[in-house]
Amino acid sequence: MSATNDELELFDNFRADLDDHNDRRERLIKASRDATNLSKKTIFLLHRLMMEDSNISTVDNAPGKRAALRGREKLVEVQTIYAGLRQELEGNRFWRYQSQVSPGLQEYIEALGFAHYLEYGSLITFDQVQQTLADSQGVPFFPLTISDYLLGLSDLTGELMRYAISGISRRGGRKKASEVCAFVRGCKSDFERLTPYVWELKKKQYVTGQSLEKIEDAAYAIFVRSSEYDLSPDMLDDIVAQAISSYSTDGLSARPRRGFGHDDLEDT
Amino acid sequence: MDPQDLETLNVLLDRDVELRENIKDQVNEFDKKTRTMVGLLNKIHSTPCFGEVPSLLDSVKPVLTSCQEITAAIASIVPPNQLWRWKELWSNSLRTAVFAAALIEYLSNRRLITLPKVAQTLGLKDEWQDRVALPAEDYLHGIISLVNELSRLAVNAVTLGNFDEPIRISIFVKNLFAGFSMLNLKNDTLRRRYDGLKYDIKKIEEVVYDVSLRRLASSQSVPSTTQ
Repeated sequence: MSATNDELELFDNFRADLDDHNDRRERLIKASRDATNLSKKTIFLLHRLMMEDSNISTVDNAPGKRAALRGREKLVEVQTIYAGLRQELEGNRFWRYQSQVSPGLQEYIEALGFAHYLEYGSLITFDQVQQTLADSQGVPFFPLTISDYLLGLSDLTGELMRYAISGISRRGGRKKASEVCAFVRGCKSDFERLTPYVWELKKKQYVTGQSLEKIEDAAYAIFVRSSEYDLSPDMLDDIVAQAISSYSTDGLSARPRRGFGHDDLEDT
Repeated sequence: MDPQDLETLNVLLDRDVELRENIKDQVNEFDKKTRTMVGLLNKIHSTPCFGEVPSLLDSVKPVLTSCQEITAAIASIVPPNQLWRWKELWSNSLRTAVFAAALIEYLSNRRLITLPKVAQTLGLKDEWQDRVALPAEDYLHGIISLVNELSRLAVNAVTLGNFDEPIRISIFVKNLFAGFSMLNLKNDTLRRRYDGLKYDIKKIEEVVYDVSLRRLASSQSVPSTTQ
């Protein structure tokens, strides 16, 4: 019964095994957090870039293309993180640590999907996402899961709502908003069919529904108000743009008007 | 979304659902077997004469061996590299099987069964490592169940007039506890169950105390624990 040494040696191996597992887990959580962080910054960057352009609904969609390009440049940093995780997630390990990697991946897919939408006005496909997470030979760093793909895109609808509403008062904004509205509506109905398979999608579908309603309400308000004036959308844009420009560009050259521009305060 | 892409995703997801169902069928069978074993092994608490224990264990062993059919079936269903995707489905059954194997080994040889030995008993092959395997975590869960069971046995053995058993159990469990203390566990179920081990040890210690105080145990086994 003096098997003590044998047993301790046995447990020594388990310790090494468990430590190895826990350390890898920690490393992956950190990396995933970094990926989330960078992806979030990219989303903000995309929003900012789209706000910078005065007209977001040009025929050639130059602003969208420009923003998408800058966004993708930024996302290369995230892709580098995932390239570095290749060894850690090799073979059998991928599924072991899937839940640690998944949050960052979803955020990345959201950012990538946003850039894609701004450029093409369509949903990024599963294969297109997987291709961005592969080496130069096209070999994936690790398999992309359908659930991460769907959940990332489901989050995208929230960003699109923000994008549509914040741009709604600008030139071409109303047209853009109605496009986004139709697109999000399409996403919601496409995802509906897949919801029974992916557990978390149910909650996100609810949020998508809320985002959709916000866009719809905004579109409604604009429609009702603009119907009071018998003007074409372009002319309405002009009136709005004029009113805004008298405040925004430089306060001194613009006609001084009573109101809430802080330039007025400086003058007095 | 492009209708074609949507359809592709749908097909893939359907395939996963089917796979899950197939695994579940096997796990149900696995579960039946492990429950049968636990039921049979429960009789150790009411087997007055320890001479009857070996024949009881012999009745459990075929059930344990038959678990090999299940592991083989699971290995044939699970796609390569997807062990960790599906293992939650059979973890509980697997841990119970470890427990049964460990209890049989303890009662037969008073030894701790090793992880490779359990894997071998369950017919787990090395080439299945990416589909069905026995990870350290599941093995350790099974061993903790063994300790839980032995603390019960220590009490019931005394009731049945076997006063040496608690002392043997005490030494065995203390060694095991020393082993578990070497592990850096994170906050998960294994950690919680490890934290619960001290109550089993306390229970066994009390039995040993009662037995030795009343000089019920045979003299040669007493000094080794009370020192």
